[in-house]
Amino acid sequence: MKRIYAIAFALVLLVLLFAWGLLFYPMDSRLPSGGSLEAPSAEHWLGTDNLGIDIFAQISSGFFHSLSIGLATALAAFLIGGVLGVAAGYAGGRTDMLVEFLINLFLSVPQLPIMIVAGAFFGQSSLNIICIIAAFSWAPIAKQVRARTMSLRKSGYLVLARSYGGGLWYLFKTHMSRDILPLLAISSLAVTGRAIVQESSLAFLGLSDPLAKSWGLMIARCTAFKGIYFTNFWTWWLLPPVLSLVLSTLLLRLLTRALESYWLEKE
Amino acid sequence: MKKRKLFSLLLIICLALSLLGGCRSHVNAPAVTGEESASTADSAYTVETLKLAGGTDWGTPSPYLHVSRGPGQAKMRLVFASLLEKDERGDLPWLAESWSFEGNEYTFTLFEGQSFHDGEPLTTEDVAFTIDYFREYPPVTNSLGVGDGFIIENYRIVDEYTITITVKKANADTLSNLGSFVILPKHIWEKVADPYTYNVPDCLVGSGAYMCTGYEGATGSYEFTAYAGWVNGQQAAERILFVPVSDELLAFENGEIDIASMPADLKDKYMNDPDIGFVEKADDMGYKMLINFERLPEFLDLPLRQGIYAALDRQSIVDNVFRGMGSVGSAGYVPVSSLFYNENVIKYEYDPDAAKELLGEKGFGISLLTDDSADGISIAEIVKINLEAVGMKVTVVAVDSAGRDDRVNKGDYDFAIVGNGGWGNNPPSYMRTLFSDSSKYLSTSPASMGPRGYSNEELTALAEGQLKETDFEKRKEMFKELELLVSQEIPLIVLANQSSYSMYRQDYYDGWMKTYAYQQAEQNRLSYMAR
Repeated sequence: MKRIYAIAFALVLLVLLFAWGLLFYPMDSRLPSGGSLEAPSAEHWLGTDNLGIDIFAQISSGFFHSLSIGLATALAAFLIGGVLGVAAGYAGGRTDMLVEFLINLFLSVPQLPIMIVAGAFFGQSSLNIICIIAAFSWAPIAKQVRARTMSLRKSGYLVLARSYGGGLWYLFKTHMSRDILPLLAISSLAVTGRAIVQESSLAFLGLSDPLAKSWGLMIARCTAFKGIYFTNFWTWWLLPPVLSLVLSTLLLRLLTRALESYWLEKE
Repeated sequence: MKKRKLFSLLLIICLALSLLGGCRSHVNAPAVTGEESASTADSAYTVETLKLAGGTDWGTPSPYLHVSRGPGQAKMRLVFASLLEKDERGDLPWLAESWSFEGNEYTFTLFEGQSFHDGEPLTTEDVAFTIDYFREYPPVTNSLGVGDGFIIENYRIVDEYTITITVKKANADTLSNLGSFVILPKHIWEKVADPYTYNVPDCLVGSGAYMCTGYEGATGSYEFTAYAGWVNGQQAAERILFVPVSDELLAFENGEIDIASMPADLKDKYMNDPDIGFVEKADDMGYKMLINFERLPEFLDLPLRQGIYAALDRQSIVDNVFRGMGSVGSAGYVPVSSLFYNENVIKYEYDPDAAKELLGEKGFGISLLTDDSADGISIAEIVKINLEAVGMKVTVVAVDSAGRDDRVNKGDYDFAIVGNGGWGNNPPSYMRTLFSDSSKYLSTSPASMGPRGYSNEELTALAEGQLKETDFEKRKEMFKELELLVSQEIPLIVLANQSSYSMYRQDYYDGWMKTYAYQQAEQNRLSYMAR
């Protein structure tokens, strides 16, 4: 439990830092506020990029861009995975066969190539990115939820409640949700972290809004700068988005792990 | 059990076959490798190999299949020779040993003993065949014109090596045009009914100093090997390789390639290195912004276009994107450093307040098409910031450069940023295809594509008129007049010109050159010849 608090605290600190950067830091994340490639200073905490746009402001706005995409994806995966998982596990028969087929289909196809093709086909927008990542995130969740529902379905209290005529929604609400919701929540949290990395990968490959201030795009623009590694520009242009990406996904992953083991222990 | 074994065996065979198939998927036999071939101690070549950065597919280097931009054209022109070539000062023999002209008649005499890459002799029959063939099927790079605009009236084969070509109307560019179309082998192409899809290995049997011995589109790799049957001089390298690299500069530092472009921020580092040689390309790369007047006819109103100029901080493109190496684009199109530049063209200053006044309260919403290169996106971002600051709404759409070209050719854009090399060409003959209503859509490349839905008789008269003027000074004056008019009428927005340097290790190979007309050392054929 202590570990969960510690990690959550670190995450909250990170969110607060970037929220401050977004709301109160005087520099704009979209408009130039200094010269081209200025080194970090009191005025520009992390320096400026080639167009003179403040890096810290971009990182801060990028955090919420990535996080909102991650959360939206997680929500979609939560809903699709939850509904399909419960439906398949509870109903069995043909529904189960169909859902299982879909789950296996989405688990077996190579994700990145399909994401790239879909991204290129549907065009550059954040909504498309969310849809594409969500389409590839619900299957593992549904698989777990389905298995859990199947084992619950055979438990004595559920068989009894059903024999008294309890409907699916009633059964889920009163008897299944406390088993399934934590599982769903933790799996979705894991999706958030993964979605942030996937969004950055797609942005790096040029499949997101070309001017979005996302970390993947910042990394892409910086690495495309000619001769970047023979100058010291990379220390303030490339490192911050890379470190922010690593730190935030690491914290989310650690939190998921800690919650998982806490939940297992409790069981 | 037996069945399962049989099935596995079948699977393995299928896999092996598909792998083999994969190996054969490119046009020409040997794939490019970085390996050196066994060297001959007394080689006639200056160097054994010249390696350049590849990685982009510029198409099969045949006259009908290459990509219309400079790098694609240059590779085709290594494999296929034309009658004449250019050096630092003027025209010189290439396939033709000598030439003369009088009135509309141009007579060329070929080198004796020249053959195609399959050993068949190259004669005036092939030149004549090529003229007829190009009249029927215009190639990607076409200096002869199409349809009624085909510049050749007829030809007369004098003997095996001499041909007289009669043009409809001789002008200042005629010799250059006749000297630059590439010669096809008659014995191969006379059997080809659809050259645009003819993609078998013998489409690469050329007439040039180098043979294409390897091409792999997916990796952008090319291998060219010196052709032993070339009679006009000696090739500098036995092989030319275009190898895919992830970072051009790192590859240059590691000796994986022999020539690279120099980043502006590292000018001091390399300029002070005595082993490094340079070819300067002054203002040769340029970016313009096209307005699609068919979609946005309200911009036919001149003050709006003046407003766009006033809204744009074009100096910041030079400072931030080109890192200081370049100049703000001249509104007359021809760059400031050119011999043909007119210093009297209108200079539009950055003035957002004036822009707001000129653009009014309409709040135009437009999409801005660009390529997805780092520079393309950075320039689009600056344009967007500038235009939104004066009340417009701009959505940037970035696609790969071939996709952008395709959409520009089709007119599928509102505003489009197009970058291309060759702005430093002398004379600036691109002014004709950009601004003359009658020559505007001749090209397949948006680099020389003029504004859509815009026409101007005065511009057309000047752009076509300069062609007929053979007196150098008078022609220069006509170009200058044309520039002034372009700067007043603003058919398109000139953003900025970028200067750059190609750098190479001069102790290894020192032959990189630019011609009087074209500055891209990597694309000039004479860069690959011993001189």
